[in-house]
Amino acid sequence: MICNAQQNYDAGLIPKPLLAYSSAVVRYSDQEIEVKDLDNTIYHIKEAITVLNKNGDKHAEIAVWHNKSNIIRYIKGAIYNAAGKPVGKFAEKDFEDASAADNSALFEDSRVKHYQPAIIEYPYTVEYEYEIRSKQTLNFYNWEPNPATGVSVEKSVFSFTSKPDFKINYKEINTPNKAVISTSAQGLKTYAWHLDNLRSVKYEPYSPNPEQYLTMVKIAPEKFMYEGISGSFTNWKELGQWVYDKLLLNRDAIPVETVEYIKQLTTGISDPKLKAKKIYEYMQHKTRYVSIQVGIGGYQPFLAADVDKSSYGDCKALVNYTHALLKTADIESWYCIVKSGSRKRSFMADFASMDQGDHVILCVPFKNDTTWLECTSQTIPFGFLGDFTDDRWVLACTPDGGKLMHTPHYAATTNVIRRKADFVIDDKGELSGTMVTAFGGTDYDTRDSFIDESYTEQLKSIREAYPIINMDIEKLEFTKAKSSDAVTTENIKLKAREFAAFNSDKYYFKINLANRADHVPDEVRNRSTDVYINRGYVEEDEISYQLPAGYKPEKILLNQTFDKPFGKYTVSMHLNGQQLVYKRKFQLNDGTYSKDSYQDLVDFYQSVADADAYNMVLVKRN
Amino acid sequence: MKRLLLIITFSISPIVLWAQDFAFGQYSLDEINMQKYSKDTSAHAVVLKEFGKTWLSSAQDIPLIHEYHAKIKIFDSQAFAQGTIEIPIYKIDNNRYEDITNIEAVTYYQDENGQVQKTELNPKNIFHEKKNRYWDVVKFTLPNLHKGCIIEYKYHLETPLRFNFKTWIFQSDIPKMYSEYEAHLPAVYNYNVSLRGPYKLTKNNAELEKDCFAPGGGVSCDCSKITYIMANIPAFIPEDYMTAPKNFISAIYFELSDYTDMNTGAKMKVTKDWKDVDYDMKHDESFGGQIKRSSLMKDRTQSVIAGKTDELSKAKAIYRLIQGNMKWNHFTGWGSEDGIKKAFDNHSGSVADINLCLIAALNSAGINTEAVLLSTREHGVVNKLYPVETDFNYVVAKANIGGKSYMLDATDPLLPFGLLPLDCINDQGRVMNMDKPSYWMDLVAPEKKSRMFALDLTLQDNGKIKGVMTTYSYGYEALDKRKAIKKFNSVDEFVEDFDTKLKKIKILKSEIHNLDSLDMPLSEKYEIEFDAPANMSSNRIPFNPYFIDRIGENPFKLQERNYPVDRGAMYDDKFILTLHLPKEYMVETVPQNVALAMPLQGGRFLVNYEHIEDGLTLSHVTQFNRSIYSPDEYPYLKEMFNKIIQAENTEIVLKKK
Repeated sequence: MICNAQQNYDAGLIPKPLLAYSSAVVRYSDQEIEVKDLDNTIYHIKEAITVLNKNGDKHAEIAVWHNKSNIIRYIKGAIYNAAGKPVGKFAEKDFEDASAADNSALFEDSRVKHYQPAIIEYPYTVEYEYEIRSKQTLNFYNWEPNPATGVSVEKSVFSFTSKPDFKINYKEINTPNKAVISTSAQGLKTYAWHLDNLRSVKYEPYSPNPEQYLTMVKIAPEKFMYEGISGSFTNWKELGQWVYDKLLLNRDAIPVETVEYIKQLTTGISDPKLKAKKIYEYMQHKTRYVSIQVGIGGYQPFLAADVDKSSYGDCKALVNYTHALLKTADIESWYCIVKSGSRKRSFMADFASMDQGDHVILCVPFKNDTTWLECTSQTIPFGFLGDFTDDRWVLACTPDGGKLMHTPHYAATTNVIRRKADFVIDDKGELSGTMVTAFGGTDYDTRDSFIDESYTEQLKSIREAYPIINMDIEKLEFTKAKSSDAVTTENIKLKAREFAAFNSDKYYFKINLANRADHVPDEVRNRSTDVYINRGYVEEDEISYQLPAGYKPEKILLNQTFDKPFGKYTVSMHLNGQQLVYKRKFQLNDGTYSKDSYQDLVDFYQSVADADAYNMVLVKRN
Repeated sequence: MKRLLLIITFSISPIVLWAQDFAFGQYSLDEINMQKYSKDTSAHAVVLKEFGKTWLSSAQDIPLIHEYHAKIKIFDSQAFAQGTIEIPIYKIDNNRYEDITNIEAVTYYQDENGQVQKTELNPKNIFHEKKNRYWDVVKFTLPNLHKGCIIEYKYHLETPLRFNFKTWIFQSDIPKMYSEYEAHLPAVYNYNVSLRGPYKLTKNNAELEKDCFAPGGGVSCDCSKITYIMANIPAFIPEDYMTAPKNFISAIYFELSDYTDMNTGAKMKVTKDWKDVDYDMKHDESFGGQIKRSSLMKDRTQSVIAGKTDELSKAKAIYRLIQGNMKWNHFTGWGSEDGIKKAFDNHSGSVADINLCLIAALNSAGINTEAVLLSTREHGVVNKLYPVETDFNYVVAKANIGGKSYMLDATDPLLPFGLLPLDCINDQGRVMNMDKPSYWMDLVAPEKKSRMFALDLTLQDNGKIKGVMTTYSYGYEALDKRKAIKKFNSVDEFVEDFDTKLKKIKILKSEIHNLDSLDMPLSEKYEIEFDAPANMSSNRIPFNPYFIDRIGENPFKLQERNYPVDRGAMYDDKFILTLHLPKEYMVETVPQNVALAMPLQGGRFLVNYEHIEDGLTLSHVTQFNRSIYSPDEYPYLKEMFNKIIQAENTEIVLKKK
């Protein structure tokens, strides 16, 4: 334990470099974990933060998460003025207790006690400490000393203490100092890390995943206890085995009527993949997603029989149920734990721990044709994962233990939005014609999200989706994606009054009417991180305009190409009599690029935005 | 704006066998086979029947009892969310709280073979979540939802808040075929009943119930059993930029005006007229009691008004003191829960804590100040036919100085003296004077969201454009701008960020004035430089003057509008561009001037080009003279934006001589 009793919180003592771009400074942060027993871990958290101005107030709000298995032992704290003199105290009774459940969940046993000190003179310092007793040893808090943007850190320390027979594995990521390991007189073993003087960072667009550049220490037990279930692991194989044996095994029984029904449903289908598709679509039709997380239910699925009865469940329950249905048709499938989200995050190849995932999907290991199923959506095509779980390492929990598997990568050339339109502009400037757009790959659900909406709602959404002035939709149709190469097609017949503004004998309109890129990333001085493009895509537009009779373009027609490793943009315009054809292709390639290429990326987007903003001016032919 | 409020009157007439709750657990084949709701084919679900009943129990503590029962048809999976029910439960304290019992729920659906199946909710799957100090939520979800299924549920709720007779909301996010509410009002309780919204009751009936209310002591009284029925109620579909949905949703409200204490026979007024409310509020410890604590504030304000002689400068000093000394904890309301002393000394409080403290402090300095109760825009319009205390959710100060009144709210440290937050500018407020009767006043913003934006640019021989960009912000624009700047730790950080946001335009020098002089216009001056839009070697240079702050896309895209458009503040924006050219250049063409006005002085849009000796000037004026536009004005509002965007697309052409 590090002694902070005599800490001096005089704000004048903060090193100057820590003040730049800061609204608050963490004077020190001390996070201690002590495993007393397999079902008893004590967290001791102590922090002092100096708030420099009003913007820093939010960093002084204290939030302590707890639930039935993580019990607060005490919270206390004190406030110091600019000179470091104590001016007030606070305790647990000043904290407001609120539900911390996700609003979309039906029930979650998750609560937060929070407190915001109200201080009107800056700078001030809030010092607080609390202890939590956790009844499990499967997951431990990570050490993540890098603060939020706009906050600097003077000192941060982290330690883990246990009896020598409680063995751990740990993973140091970007730690400036290695663990210091010591043994106390009582024989307790302690691992400790520390870090000093971290300056405030500013947000950098297109930055890689935090584990690429921020400091983190993760700790995993060898032997553990969780909600009364014990286990041990040192690698993914063993952890996956534990999940399979203790959380999944024998939870896939389903009523005999359902077994019979599935048999009947798949009669006559010999191709196992087509069988699986039929079963998956039945499951989609039958069930819906409802999240309930209590105790071991956070990790263990409901019984398949319960899902069969109630027709709802969370991701675990629905995956387990789909697995059970497939099993009746002798199709093997694996329960896979994944870190979900549009940003791709993978399980660490060399470090196994239970806290790396937050979602479950199903893998069907057909020979040479591994198929992946997202079981919480009623509409997603069979075999398609979308941008929620694509292209990342996940943990498959099989009867033979766990193994890391990689989900499909949807390349830029798969994620294509292809648009073709034919328009006439009359002498009043009114635009009319048809526009057909196909949305493929991970872009498919930009339209799929309202494909089942009523026509009135679809019209509203489409009007909002396009920047076309005075757009009046005469007809709108969608074609649904139903295979794993997901493509949704939108077909619009439209009119737009005064699309081309007539002014002083000239017409003005935006040549790229549907798809202008107007966002240019901010420039960043002294960028510290590489450029990371999470997902690639392609946009192809071909728009043909019949121009008003007797008028021609006044300015030079666009004909440009910008070609960079991370993307390519080509735009061209051709005039053929009164027909003007505009073609645009934009491609962004996913990947990691050196930090020096960031300015190139900004310039690239600026060039694209300029070209997209091209204002067509028509003048009378002589 | 239409007033969608009317008072219901009824007479008691004995009718035998009036409708009552429909039987639980029954459905018809027509309901099962229903494919669409014929009156709204776009509906994903429809309430087939809904029944509610509220009465005062004769049990101990006289709880109010509310029973609810609904049967809903779900056409497709888009409406599965209707199958998850959340019932908020209010807690006064650990001993007095609402209690929900007898929850029953069932789903009827057709299975794969076309057989109708029934699944009941397992009581194990009813969850009780503690949200915060005041609210819990009881939640459950219906099992076995299928396309075309019918769900049915009911519950029984007991509340100790017996004076808050349950409001009945006829209109919801899905249409309803039939909605019925049965209110049992004891004869010794008198209510003001009002119906909001555009729809009329289909049926409305009252009958007498003998000896229905006997809260002990051997006394009893009769009740009026009143039934309100509405059929074929359309879904309520909110629109962007709308004022409070509560103003428009069809619902029936009950406000208790008085009751007779059955033991003593004394008539107890709850709300009757403003005279009573004035008296009650004045003597309410959380309101009048706090306003009267001026002696307490006297010591605390003495130092800031020392040496000041006129009332206005004293008032400003006190306003700044409260503004700077108290942080708003984001609670609203008009009563101070723990008193202003505690709030002032803890530097933290609710709207009431802060503004009642302000009122007491101003009065302590001899400045005549009244409290104004109001309802924020989000909270809806207040009922003015009779007093409804719960209609108000905010209190501000009205300082009367030298024949003028200044409306003050000290919860936001960046508000200038005399400006209320926009959310408070909502219809009328009730002025509460501690010595005189209360009265209504119009809440009108004294200032607009207004800006003067000038660009004085010179095209240079080297192909660069250099010049000065000046902005003066007033009223709500200055407030917004100050907030934007204060998000940064320093003005330099703001300018650095602004420079980044301007992309190709570089800021060479900057000056910002009056950032902390809140009663003055905020001024910003930037020296800027950027590349001319075209190659200088070409003979003709097209130039679009709207390269900063374009609107670009019409915010109003819908064909129709049902509800008023809330534009926030009245808006006044003037953009002036002066462009100086080198000697060898001249202006070839400029776009046409525009002069557009909305009917009834709703707004104006003007574009005016003028040639000057070495170039041109453009003046571009946009005015929206109302903060709220009626649906009738929507097409004009939309067309204003259309014309603004059209003007933004036009270009000036410069030519080499």
